[in-house]
Amino acid sequence: MSGNLERRYRRVLRLLPGWYRDLWQEDMVAAFLDGWLTGDPEADEYITKVAGPSSGEVASVAGLAVRLYLGGAGAPRRHFAWRQAMRRAVLAVTLVQATRGLDVLLLTAWSRHLFGWLPTPPASMVVATPGGIFPPAVWYLVAYAWIVAFVSLVLRYYRIGQVFAALAIVPDLVWLVQGQFTGRLPTPYIGPWAFWVLLSLCPVLAMTAFQRDAPVSPRWPWLLALPANYLLVVVPLLALRLTGNSEWVPDFSGLYCMLVALACVAHAPRAWSRQAASSGVWSLTLFLLAVDAGAYRMFSIADYLHDPHLITVSLAELLILVAAVSLVAPDAARAQAGRSEPPPYPRHV
Amino acid sequence: MTAKSMTVQAFFVLSALADAPRHGYGIVGEVVELSQGRVRLKIGSLYGVLDRLAAEGLIEPDREEAHDGRLRRYYRLTEDGRRALAAEAELRAATARVVRARLGLTGAQAAG
Repeated sequence: MSGNLERRYRRVLRLLPGWYRDLWQEDMVAAFLDGWLTGDPEADEYITKVAGPSSGEVASVAGLAVRLYLGGAGAPRRHFAWRQAMRRAVLAVTLVQATRGLDVLLLTAWSRHLFGWLPTPPASMVVATPGGIFPPAVWYLVAYAWIVAFVSLVLRYYRIGQVFAALAIVPDLVWLVQGQFTGRLPTPYIGPWAFWVLLSLCPVLAMTAFQRDAPVSPRWPWLLALPANYLLVVVPLLALRLTGNSEWVPDFSGLYCMLVALACVAHAPRAWSRQAASSGVWSLTLFLLAVDAGAYRMFSIADYLHDPHLITVSLAELLILVAAVSLVAPDAARAQAGRSEPPPYPRHV
Repeated sequence: MTAKSMTVQAFFVLSALADAPRHGYGIVGEVVELSQGRVRLKIGSLYGVLDRLAAEGLIEPDREEAHDGRLRRYYRLTEDGRRALAAEAELRAATARVVRARLGLTGAQAAG
């Protein structure tokens, strides 16, 4: 009786992970058919011939599938580990963007003499905005928006963080597209595009992993990471530039590779000991960050084709990153291959 | 659950289970009635909400019954679910009382 209609709905349910279909498919099919069938054989025969799942129904199943693949409530351990790792990686990349925002904020304050005890900054320290169709104020707002996005995600105001991050990546995209079409930017100009895709677009898309039922991240360590990152990474680089040692300052891509490599090395003893329960998720997080940093390094090499020295340095950075991430990769593999935990409901009640 | 705000969908699903265990489509129908047609859950959304509520320990499976050759799975509120629903209902009622008072509405006017 319900043949065609049921078949169409089961086809939609194939979007769901297999383990979830094993548990809930029959229940969902029954609930779906209850909504259509009237009990009148003639009417039901007609309905099953012509009716099908509405676009809203398909969207609701697709949304459920995304949530389950990202490790929502009841998902197996490996999905859970991936989702946890993805959230931490997104927080880490957003931290990097927020640190850049903090840099803009503090340098702007410095150049406007808000720190009276500091001498006037040299011209090289004044914040330069990219220009294009947007006035400087927009670029300042973009930088500050990343700080708001990062703090909002840490404080669990996920929607606010997602909106600010999504708004922050728009001016960069407009600037890149406008620059390519007007010929203002050289072709190919792969590095900035790679930056936009890998450090702006990807994190914003991956922010879907921050949902209401997501396990929370500790607030204070992440909040303190922002000033700590500024003091430990940005200030020494500023000092190098101020003391005329700019040649020792790596480009942003190289810096990203080195920071991830250092984090891998620092985490390696924990990953090898496997004493801490969350070690595997951190290893998986570092693996994701290493993929992001490595991809950015590889794409941005294209902008150095004129300079063999810079190519050599870039390849060395890539090599160091690969060596460092190989220290935590086995632990990451164990975390993502974790066996399923028992489902939240019994299979048969 | 009381620390986090409850979504409208979760509130209506818990409300639908307040007086008796219900199966999937039974919950959908009850939510439509309780919300006076304003909340119409799609099946995918319903199961997402049920997953979350079960993970939070607010609902649990009750029984299975055969109907037209299909097994229907029924769900019921847990004690935690009952407490969370009562707390949320009280919060919403208190909010409604304050809003009515601020608007200068009596009970009859508000109903009309």
